[in-house]
Amino acid sequence: MSKYKLPKKFDYKNVNILKQFITETGKIIPARVTGVSASNQRKLTRHIKIARFLALIPYTDMHN
Amino acid sequence: MKKYEAIIILNPNLSSEVDSFKNDFEKLLNSNSFNIAKYEDAGRRQLAYSINNHNKGHYLLFNIEGDSEKLIEIENKIKYNESIIRHLFISVKEHLGEDSQLLIDSRDRKTETEEIENDKVEKKSEVIESTNNVEDEETDTKEELVEQKESTEANLEEDKNE
Repeated sequence: MSKYKLPKKFDYKNVNILKQFITETGKIIPARVTGVSASNQRKLTRHIKIARFLALIPYTDMHN
Repeated sequence: MKKYEAIIILNPNLSSEVDSFKNDFEKLLNSNSFNIAKYEDAGRRQLAYSINNHNKGHYLLFNIEGDSEKLIEIENKIKYNESIIRHLFISVKEHLGEDSQLLIDSRDRKTETEEIENDKVEKKSEVIESTNNVEDEETDTKEELVEQKESTEANLEEDKNE
């Protein structure tokens, strides 16, 4: 747990925190690997998906 | 009354017309009885993937408050505006009064680029002394330099994150 920075509240605008929880290929890392609580993982997922739509983080590394 | 966050990504080529766009959009909001709690201009930013062949976008954030039915009307009007390459309205429970991370990031980047530009200006003055011809080309190369610098910075940041 300690190696991840968890904010008080997840925010799609805070790209640096969200980037900890995606792989190099852009996938969301499962909670069983990161140890994030189920409730936090749901919030995190929602915000990662918003940030992807706004082109703040990539969907994949295959974008041209 | 519901609270919303509106994120609008503008065409980066129209960055100079941001103010006029902002005024138009505020008029549109006001005419639909929306309150604007906060406005942020996060500036031009590299997109994570290209949208309509744009690699950069000008991010604007609005914290607004109003009725959901009126929001649909606003969205319908925005939909066909070609200067917007992407937009999103999100309903939120509470508006955070603080500056968003996007704005803080853009401020950090600005201070960095200013430092680089100061260096560049010194170099440029030397170049101008040696060659006095073709101003147009010089401005072009300037822009290219800025883009190159920015891309290298982005790479550096990625390296750090890794």
